[in-house]
Amino acid sequence: MKNRLKDLRTERNWTQADLAQFAGVSRQTINAVEKGKFDPSLPLAFRLARLFDLTIEEIFLDEADQTAG
Amino acid sequence: MQTQTRTEGYQDSIKATFQLFLWTFAWGATLALAKFGPESLWDSDTMSWAAVALNVGIGIGWIVAHARYLRAIDELQRKIMQDALAITLGVTWVAGFAYIVADSADLISYNADAGSLAILMSVIYVVATAAGHLRYR
Repeated sequence: MKNRLKDLRTERNWTQADLAQFAGVSRQTINAVEKGKFDPSLPLAFRLARLFDLTIEEIFLDEADQTAG
Repeated sequence: MQTQTRTEGYQDSIKATFQLFLWTFAWGATLALAKFGPESLWDSDTMSWAAVALNVGIGIGWIVAHARYLRAIDELQRKIMQDALAITLGVTWVAGFAYIVADSADLISYNADAGSLAILMSVIYVVATAAGHLRYR
């Protein structure tokens, strides 16, 4: 699943380690999510959305919607 | 911000990892005691049974610690571990039964023991875990 996590993180000058600490996960998890290798659980997606004051849909892009559109 | 203080999960995983390490070490030590004690430390069936009971008791603690570890680590680490456990179980199952049928047909001369099975499972688990970490690097 594509996402804007890296862009949002760098806008705030956060490292992957910073975001991992804020979200309560490992840096490896943040890296895997940013690269689209791992889809986060719904609770983690909500935590990330709260961190950036955005909705989940504004961070994570449904590829099925993109291909349909 | 509330979420910026969420470091407990990571600290819990470190604590659970350390506890799993200690339980694993204790289980290995009691296994060695139960295996080599009768040969070199005592000459008593009661002591041997006590060593086996201690090993089983520590083993139960190790199982609980492993379950706690899987609950404490974050979701990607848990997926890597669960994949590694699934691969370990699958390979052991398939290889084990292949060995049994091949042995019963007198196709192989090597006599495997329980130690061989434990070594096989350990190697597969370590390799599968490392492969999982590389996959999500």
